[in-house]
Amino acid sequence: MTSSIFMHPATMFIIGALLLPLAKKCKVQKIWLVLIPLVAFIQIQYLPESFGKVEWLGFDLQFGRVDKLTMVFLHVFTLMALVGSLFGLHVKESGQHVAAWLYVAGSLGTTLAGDYLTVFIFWELMAFASVFLIWYRKRKKSIDAGYRYLLVHTFGGLVLLGGIFLRYQNVGDLTFELISVDHATLADYLIMIGFMLNAAVPPIHAWLPDAYPEATVTGAVFMCAFTTKTAVYVLARGFAGFETLAVMGAIMTLYGVAYAVIENDARRILAYHIVSQVGYMVCAVGIGTEMAINGASAHAYAHILYKALLFMGIGSVLEMTGRSKLSELGGLYKYMPYTMIFTVIGGISISGFPLTSGFISKSMIIAAAGNNHQLIIMSMLLLAAVGTFLSVGIKLPYYVFFGPKDSGLTPKEAPWNMQAAMGIAAFMCIFLGFYPDYLYDMLPYAVNYHPYTSYHLTETFHLLGFTGLGFYLMVKYLKPHDVSNLDLDWFYRRGAGWFMWVARKPVDATNEWISNVYESIGLRLTMAIARALSWFDWEGIDWALDGSARGVVKGGEQVRQFQTGKLQHYIGAAVVLLFIVLIVVVLV
Amino acid sequence: MIVNFLTYLRERPSFLKWLFLAYLAFALVFDFFADRHHAHFWGDHLVGFWAVFGLVGCLAMIVFCKGLSHVWLERDKDHYDK
Repeated sequence: MTSSIFMHPATMFIIGALLLPLAKKCKVQKIWLVLIPLVAFIQIQYLPESFGKVEWLGFDLQFGRVDKLTMVFLHVFTLMALVGSLFGLHVKESGQHVAAWLYVAGSLGTTLAGDYLTVFIFWELMAFASVFLIWYRKRKKSIDAGYRYLLVHTFGGLVLLGGIFLRYQNVGDLTFELISVDHATLADYLIMIGFMLNAAVPPIHAWLPDAYPEATVTGAVFMCAFTTKTAVYVLARGFAGFETLAVMGAIMTLYGVAYAVIENDARRILAYHIVSQVGYMVCAVGIGTEMAINGASAHAYAHILYKALLFMGIGSVLEMTGRSKLSELGGLYKYMPYTMIFTVIGGISISGFPLTSGFISKSMIIAAAGNNHQLIIMSMLLLAAVGTFLSVGIKLPYYVFFGPKDSGLTPKEAPWNMQAAMGIAAFMCIFLGFYPDYLYDMLPYAVNYHPYTSYHLTETFHLLGFTGLGFYLMVKYLKPHDVSNLDLDWFYRRGAGWFMWVARKPVDATNEWISNVYESIGLRLTMAIARALSWFDWEGIDWALDGSARGVVKGGEQVRQFQTGKLQHYIGAAVVLLFIVLIVVVLV
Repeated sequence: MIVNFLTYLRERPSFLKWLFLAYLAFALVFDFFADRHHAHFWGDHLVGFWAVFGLVGCLAMIVFCKGLSHVWLERDKDHYDK
């Protein structure tokens, strides 16, 4: 038991995070930062199928459950932890690394969990660790965005917990297995909503484009990989085949890409684009066939790498220039050529160019939709692919590195560690494009799909080429402006303002008014009533019920007249009394 | 070196334009020779279907999204701080 907890990769990251300040003290922080993820990346290959079973307060917890679906996610998560840590190697603040690793631990723990309680524990660890990756940016906007992020995730966590409790009450079993669509109850749907919040499914997606652009440069690289993809994993594990997810996912792909077309901040474009890309995976989970689940896993794997690559490229620009708005950038290819090449590789991979990872993963989901005769969904996914190339494949690199105008910035190239991290991710994007079987062999089901058919190639040539033509024709309308666009976070950002206003104005005024009314009328009324009651008590109740009280007082008063307290009066009275007694006795 | 090459290309926009148009022509020609045995629906049988889909989709998306942003969604960047 003890040894099986130590083989859990999350334990490795937690202990690694806790010892990180010590490593810093011994001046080996940089070595430590590479060593732990590297060991974890190798060690996950040797995990047994089941480990870490604990009975706790009558619940059967399972910390480790490994099958092929788990493995493909574990593989990319640990690889990403390595790439992300390498990218952040120059950051001296241990706190950021500690937060990032605890966040990774949460993600790995959720992926390995075999029951809902374990899922919930690591789920919350993820939310609470990742918020520090936003707060470490230390700007007021980031602090605010971090609080909003935390509140939304706390809400999602509570919905999930509510579902788990309800499920326990209904079936008395918390094992985390596939739920059948026909037997899903309210409890299961609550759990699903909790998962969907982390997958950023509209209308509960706005936390993502709100928070990620405000995170630190390295923080955003970690965040773009773990939260949403862990959510895709748990959805694939528990809710494969739910038609709702297929429809919501297809809507997501277009929703995210629409905002990516109009946004100005490069990291916000990428954040909205996560919504779009995760939409493909959610949609595939909803389709639920073997090919679709394979597609969701493959796309999660490929997406983590190229989206992180894009966040690293734009992060490097932000790190070196302090800017991330398209309207303030341009012409940087002269000063950051390697960053430019890596970012463009990320851009063409996400757009699904042949010989890149997007080509071999995204198409699998689209083909799964086609094979399942869901043509509307298939067309929505293809339209989103057009928007992807438009917004992230062309618009983003164009306005940052080339552009109609030169920004006049002359930044240095990013530090070596950032370039190395981007290099690894870029290599993987191309490698998977050339050798898809490396990924296909890891997938949960046997793959019977060949991406490099002549028809798939011609379809891709056309979609990409003519999207490029569209961009060429409309480029003057795409010029970025320094504005922000409303999204559904309006409801809680404005809603919170209204709540505060209502609390400050009407509620406060009513409170003031009531206290005035109370003072001027209420208090006097109370005093008058008190006096009336006291009179009634005195005159009414005493008199009626026992006049004795007043009789006693009156009698006492009269007796008091006699008792003067002077000794001679008492002796005199006694003598008089004795005299009277004697006379009576003698005379009678 | 890369920088010089890219600058060289940027100074010759008409060359890039013709290169791009040549690519589009190649794509259209290639479409005649593609194997269409695994078609999912009627569109897959039409030559150039995805070219039209890509171009129309791209233009529609730009017009729709930019328009929506312009008439409704666009706000000052410190909108929520007011």
